[in-house]
Amino acid sequence: MNVSRRKFLAGTAAVTTAATAAVVATPHDGDAASGPPPSRRVDAREKVTGDLRYASDRLLPGTAHAVYAVATIGKGRLLEVNTKAAEAAPGVRLVLTRVDVKPPGFLQGGGHAFQSLQPLTSDRIAYRGQHIALVVADSLHAATEAAALITARYEAEPIAVEIDAPGAQKVRQSDVLPTAHDVVAGNAPSAFAAAPVKIDHEYESPQSHPVPMELIASVVQWDGDDLTIYEGTQNASAVQNGLALQLGISPERIEVLSPSVGGAFGQKNSLQTHLAPVAVAARRLGRPIKVVVPRTQTFHNASFRPASHHRIRLGADRSGRMLAAMHDVDQQTSRHDYFPAVYTELTSRLYGITNYGSQQNLVRTDVQTPGFMRAPYESPGTFAFESAVDELSYALGKDPVALRLANDTAVDPISGHPFSSRYLADTLRRGSRKFGWSERSAAPGSMRGRDGSLIGWGVAAGAYKAATAPATARLRLIPAGRTYHATIWVDGHEMGQGIRSAVARLVAEDLQLRLEHIEVGVGDTRGVPPQHLTAGSWGTATALPAVYAALKELRKKLGLGAKGPVPSGRGETIVLARSRAPGQPEAIHDRAAQGLPAGAGPEYPEFTAFSFVSHFVEVRVEPTTRRIRVPRVVSTVDCGKVASPRTAESQVRGGVIWGIGAALRERSEVDERFGGFANPTLEEYVVPVNADIGRIDVGLIDKPDFNLNPVGVKGLGEVVMVGVAAAVANAVFHATGRRVRHLPIRLEDVL
Amino acid sequence: MNSIKVSFRLNRKTVDLVVDSRESLLDVLRERLDTTGAKKGCDQGQCGACTVHIDGRRVVSCLTPAVQVAGREVTTIEGVAGPDGELHPLQQAFIDNDALQCGYCTPGQIMSGLACIKEGHTTDDAEIREYMSGNLCRCGCYVGVVAAVRETARKEAGR
Ligand code: FES
Ligand code: FES
Repeated sequence: MNVSRRKFLAGTAAVTTAATAAVVATPHDGDAASGPPPSRRVDAREKVTGDLRYASDRLLPGTAHAVYAVATIGKGRLLEVNTKAAEAAPGVRLVLTRVDVKPPGFLQGGGHAFQSLQPLTSDRIAYRGQHIALVVADSLHAATEAAALITARYEAEPIAVEIDAPGAQKVRQSDVLPTAHDVVAGNAPSAFAAAPVKIDHEYESPQSHPVPMELIASVVQWDGDDLTIYEGTQNASAVQNGLALQLGISPERIEVLSPSVGGAFGQKNSLQTHLAPVAVAARRLGRPIKVVVPRTQTFHNASFRPASHHRIRLGADRSGRMLAAMHDVDQQTSRHDYFPAVYTELTSRLYGITNYGSQQNLVRTDVQTPGFMRAPYESPGTFAFESAVDELSYALGKDPVALRLANDTAVDPISGHPFSSRYLADTLRRGSRKFGWSERSAAPGSMRGRDGSLIGWGVAAGAYKAATAPATARLRLIPAGRTYHATIWVDGHEMGQGIRSAVARLVAEDLQLRLEHIEVGVGDTRGVPPQHLTAGSWGTATALPAVYAALKELRKKLGLGAKGPVPSGRGETIVLARSRAPGQPEAIHDRAAQGLPAGAGPEYPEFTAFSFVSHFVEVRVEPTTRRIRVPRVVSTVDCGKVASPRTAESQVRGGVIWGIGAALRERSEVDERFGGFANPTLEEYVVPVNADIGRIDVGLIDKPDFNLNPVGVKGLGEVVMVGVAAAVANAVFHATGRRVRHLPIRLEDVL
Repeated sequence: MNSIKVSFRLNRKTVDLVVDSRESLLDVLRERLDTTGAKKGCDQGQCGACTVHIDGRRVVSCLTPAVQVAGREVTTIEGVAGPDGELHPLQQAFIDNDALQCGYCTPGQIMSGLACIKEGHTTDDAEIREYMSGNLCRCGCYVGVVAAVRETARKEAGR
């Protein structure tokens, strides 16, 4: 049942040649549908019927179930693992405490995995909850019970889990990561010293966890020397190439199928460390194995948002012109990897501030390696920066919207290049109109609801790099009665953001086909390799240009003009096309093919590209309980052309809810006596629920950015979260007069 | 460990099965009966992704021992649409209001939404929000979920 990759590649070449030969021009018969294609979510029906199969929904004949046992110390050495009772438990087929696989390499260090440490390859325990043994049994309940019977002896070592714990080790990022340099422009220290109005404060963002609803899970099946992995991942090619290196086999022997992911948010962006031991076990048993990492284990055996502390200094003249900004950051990392801190990439460009300085430090702590949780740098970074801008507005006695508009810029102050497109000011103007901002009374604590609650209105701006990555698309058109059926395989993954819908819509629009006649294949290494990482909000801006190129190629091959439907009577036609970011060399496709990150942006050779957003937030603080509610939010986004309006609006709402979670709810708690995270369940790690969410008004500027790509799209999935937490904090200040400089803001902060 | 013979109705069909006393209804549905519409998001009764109906009432199937459904009628998301594939109005309303993104929480949301309507907890949006808060959606589709439940409840009331 495995389609080998070699076979696929050879097949493509043959079919492509044959199709070229078969193309004969026929007259236009005006048969196809026309008009703008509707915007809908093309996989919605399977999702409401339960028909859609996620990775762990595979039930292969003879499947065995795997469960890991975990370390119960915060750090140290494993002296002995006692597996006797587990091995004797009924239904148990295999218990592994060591596997002979290579470490996978850290994603940001030339590897494929979220961290370089591979459990079950040494006696080293780096964090509480680390996997120490794998149990495989005939049933899930047998494996679960046996895993609980595993005990271990350790030699414990002192730990430092939190960023400010004694024993956490701070290093300057530029000393340990030579490629990460601090962003500097002009002379910030002297401009700040000379500025008549100054803000200088520290802000804290906690460690937190993505908790996508779909658990991290794999179904692993060997067929001779060929291995098929069903896993919800944003990066099928990293899983494929990384696992191949770990197992010492050719990547061509591995196929990874991840057609639909049940949410990822950065936590599924690379090779997970649960996978290689399971692949070893499956080979040894000669049976498929399903492993579903329990929710609690996902808090320790997958990445999270690191804690970060920010010092923001802003200097302005009395008219409100910002003259200098300095943004210093301490960010948590693990002991075994340096997870880079890239906070200043955005805060240096949010406004036209010509004197900018920064220093970013990494703090080594005893945790698994943190990673890229949605808007990884931009959400904490703008919480700090946009809170400081709000503080500046009060120091100046200026309206916070007017202050932001007065500091807008058309030029990137760091590179000196123009922005590819920038409608931040439009988002602020439109949002403030819709929100009714002009009705705001500026003094903190000056607005009350009828029930006596304190009303606060806050605003913040945000941006996110408009990144792009190389991509490959394969388009097949086959006649289907009086119309055609198009299948498009493209580099990308569907995590719920709607990439399938955006791709289908572009094909439908171009070929004037009905959406029902378009099939989109993503996240499947058999469809079109590579399936490079879908992250950094580059998914749509990466897949659509490749699809666009494939459509052009198809038209060329069929001898058609730039527009109009395909005349009837054409035979099967297959084309292959590639695209890459402006300025990227052709060799970048090889990097993507190796499963290594190959994204570009925000700086391109001739411009700088970001998506922009503004958020207007109302909070109500109940008079007696001091409970903070968010009854309404108005968010307006500049993401270039809106590729798929229906899914885009949902993405905006989702991002706003993430921002509310960051502002008021989410924190992974730490107890330094034990290590690890102390609230690793969905009950104790509190995410927003339905009752927490009120009205969310979405505005989309929808102006194409043709500098960035011929489709005019920029990213959306992360920018929508950026600035929400700051807008909430600013609203809380407006309601209560309390400036809370840490997240989450809880009622004890406003008592 | 105990093996027990159970017989129950699943989506209007009779199922006879020997289950282990440790097995949850969710695991039996997913790993034994290949009925994977109900999802596992926590296995601890905290997320609602595994919501099914037993005798018409919503339960989290991860905390329901499979032996408990002996003689009962279990309905999962697979049993909601008509036999010819015709969607239930609430399923259609989820599509119309784009009350989903990744779709992983969606079966649970719909099973809860059906119960919420039947229980009559749809007086206003605030009540719907409250009674739909046992179903987490990390993609953040709450606005759409409330709209879909409200719309369907109004339609059914008007019938
Ligand atoms: S899986 Fe049952 S409530 Fe989460
Ligand atoms: S749609 Fe993804 S969790 Fe609800």
